[in-house]
Amino acid sequence: MTGALELHTEEKRDITLRVFRFNPQVDSKPYFDDYTIQIEKGITVLRSLNYIKEHVDASVSFRAFCQAGICGSCGMRINGISKLACTTQVWDELSKCREAGIIKIEPLRNMPLIKDLIVDMDPLVEKMKQYSNWIETRMPESEIGKKEFLVSEEEFRKYDKATDCILCASCVSECTILRAHKEYVSPAVLLKSYRMNVDGRDAIHDVRLGELVKDHGVWDCTHCYRCQETCVKHIPIMEAIHGIREDAIEVRGVRDTSGAKHAEAFMEDIEKKGKLVEATLPIRTNGVAWTLQNLLPMAIKMILKRRTPPPPPLVKPAKGMKKFREMFREMTEHVRAEQKSHKK
Amino acid sequence: MKPFDIVIVGGGGAGLYAAMEAMKTNPALNIAVLSKVYPNRSHTSAAQGGANAALANTAKDDTVELHIFDTIKGSDYLADQDAVEILCSEAPKIIRELDNIGTPWSRLEDNTIAQRPFGGAGRPRCCYCADKTGHTILQTLYEQCLKKGVFFFNEYFALQLSVNGSRMKGLIALNIKTGKVEAFPARTVVFATGGYAKMYWNRSSNAAGNTGDGQAIAYRAGIPLKDMEFVQFHPTGLRKSGLLVTEGARGEGGYLVNAAGERFMSRYAPEKMELGPRDLVSRSIETEILQGRGFDSPAGKYVHLDLTHLGADLIMSRLPQIREMSMYFEGVDPIEEPIPVRPTAHYSMGGIDTDNFGRTVMDGVYAAGECACVSVHGANRLGGNSLLDILVFGRLAGRTAAEEARRFEPAQIGAEELKDTEAALRSYMRPSGHFERYGTLREELGQTLGMNVGIYREASKIRKGIEDLAALSERFRHIRVFDTSDIFNTNLLQVLELKNMLDLAETVASGALAREESRGSHTRTDFPVRDDEKWHKHTLATLDRNGVRLGEKPVSMGRYELQERTY
Repeated sequence: MTGALELHTEEKRDITLRVFRFNPQVDSKPYFDDYTIQIEKGITVLRSLNYIKEHVDASVSFRAFCQAGICGSCGMRINGISKLACTTQVWDELSKCREAGIIKIEPLRNMPLIKDLIVDMDPLVEKMKQYSNWIETRMPESEIGKKEFLVSEEEFRKYDKATDCILCASCVSECTILRAHKEYVSPAVLLKSYRMNVDGRDAIHDVRLGELVKDHGVWDCTHCYRCQETCVKHIPIMEAIHGIREDAIEVRGVRDTSGAKHAEAFMEDIEKKGKLVEATLPIRTNGVAWTLQNLLPMAIKMILKRRTPPPPPLVKPAKGMKKFREMFREMTEHVRAEQKSHKK
Repeated sequence: MKPFDIVIVGGGGAGLYAAMEAMKTNPALNIAVLSKVYPNRSHTSAAQGGANAALANTAKDDTVELHIFDTIKGSDYLADQDAVEILCSEAPKIIRELDNIGTPWSRLEDNTIAQRPFGGAGRPRCCYCADKTGHTILQTLYEQCLKKGVFFFNEYFALQLSVNGSRMKGLIALNIKTGKVEAFPARTVVFATGGYAKMYWNRSSNAAGNTGDGQAIAYRAGIPLKDMEFVQFHPTGLRKSGLLVTEGARGEGGYLVNAAGERFMSRYAPEKMELGPRDLVSRSIETEILQGRGFDSPAGKYVHLDLTHLGADLIMSRLPQIREMSMYFEGVDPIEEPIPVRPTAHYSMGGIDTDNFGRTVMDGVYAAGECACVSVHGANRLGGNSLLDILVFGRLAGRTAAEEARRFEPAQIGAEELKDTEAALRSYMRPSGHFERYGTLREELGQTLGMNVGIYREASKIRKGIEDLAALSERFRHIRVFDTSDIFNTNLLQVLELKNMLDLAETVASGALAREESRGSHTRTDFPVRDDEKWHKHTLATLDRNGVRLGEKPVSMGRYELQERTY
């Protein structure tokens, strides 16, 4: 054969997949099953699971469909990180095993478990509905299909990356806020909301924003960046979340919600003292009544344990405040100028 | 249970568009969409390249007429010309409609929807969103369906039509989450379940679930399937997995190169080169490989798709998914190295026989998209026409069903029928007499189809294939579902899908044996030329007591006379 490449065989190894098992019909609690199989270099986690299902244990249950990283069905936690099984190479996981040669496979978190590696996606769909994750077109009904919107490359670029999202829910699984509050909007839905809100063809920007600033909305995010780090499509989700927040302050004003007020109080402290005045932060964010009602018991405990933050007059400005203020002013101006040019 | 006016089976592009349009046509109707996966997982998402429409944004002299002609010529004159006319004249409207409701089309400098060249098209008319066109269309349609409050039954597996004589009473489906068999009494049922090319398994670019469920259900209910022998092999599947590298890669200027370093398409399509139609390019690659000019590897023989001369910028901006896939599944970065590719079963031209409005021969049963065969693709589909097909005919089928639903009297599905169906499923789990493994049968099915009913076909091989299929069907009677649980029994689903593929494979092979000519994707080495006198017609496969019965149906002609097809 002309110019044929040399035949070579790939390296093979015995590898254990430690798979999370739970069938609510028969199991009182979850457990792990170990499957040790010979795996060739170049094989994905999904293909290994398929092999196990076909040759070792047909009852192992997981979702998979396109097997090409575009349908988003096979999201699961592999060695503790949420990702797609179909695009994850077994060989790449070997260096991440806690126990050598054992790859741990678990279902996504923060969604109700159905069986083994399968979780319920319905709550996510419900949130997409709650936050109007769709375009309500500006085109009059009678004109639909007759003409196209003109969209500049610049505007297209604003939502281009966000439309890569395949709703695999890896970000949902990794979200630290969702672990505490199941009602939290969730990163995927924030991303989709952002994508709709920067689209000039959409007519319900304000309605969506109104929902996003409510409780469990955009202000609940604590910037841990886990969603962005895990995104299988490398979408800068945090940029979307910041985008919604900036938009919210701009459109609805700073006194609009506790989230915005919290951000403003933060800014005020940093500008004045270079550090936080924690004692009054809850009052400035949520008001006196809310603070007394919700935080008084904790405050009393803190007093008893002598863990109370110092009262405002005792919070001394940080060292080098003069220089810091200059830098702060410069930064603020820079951000404002950028926002202005964005709008143009 | 209160009967539905419309039950749509399948939540891909065709099914979702049908749902939207049906709601628009008559908001009072009670409509359900039933899908074995969440709709946003559907295989529409895998369509990378784009959708054709003569918007004339990129090439100002493009017209609907030219699009019609390209499609008919591409089909090797087997497409029905009146159907093609609907497809192409609705195209600009439907692309604009998608733009209006949020599909993020890539843009030209004048801010209009961008279009690029595609195989077999005389003008650059393929509208796209980078290389994620299908994905973004599917998202848009799903979003709009959520907005309109379409009633979804997600993760339901359709089992059979409930039919009394010639009267369709509704659908019976398995609730995957509970394992219960449920009745969906309905005045109308629209099948939009996608293609059947996954029967070639590892030699297929399709999702694991593209097992022709709708076609198999219709076939078993006595509805004829049309042109089943026409399976399109996409020229550029990744060597190891069969996964697809979009035609957009060649549209953007990629080269096909053999082991001798030649751009071999100059031998087969000197003018269009890499942008020849799919059937021609696939055969060219297969010929290069068969004649010893391919590369060799443990995963099979292949040629190179070379993008390195396009430069990193273009690859990253226009073909980012392709780059990612090449790296994930082949370990090759196309910026630096050529991608190893070979033809892969990609698309089913055949499907449920429908008229131009989605109607089948059975009252109240409709079909659209890859699941149906109108036929607009004839013997070979052009790139960029499949997304278009699901949109245009999904919408039409939805509208027709909505207009006609109230003509059919509702009926109930008896409890007895449900019980029997459930018992049949349970019987797969009985140990006695059930020992065959799903994986083995499926592997052999893919192998025999690839070897005997693949790109190059001949009578003796196809007969061997038919024998193999009969043996596999016999062995299927002894198949065992080893997982006995009710909740999310994916082992049971695999077996049911295999049954659908086996039934349909028989129609593919029978059609291939009967059609003694070469046309479009169907290449008989023993009948190497197109035979218009004997075979300018559709084949119809109907199930009767002895298996497949083949019939025929004339091709509806129009303005365009039969011509030899050269590129």
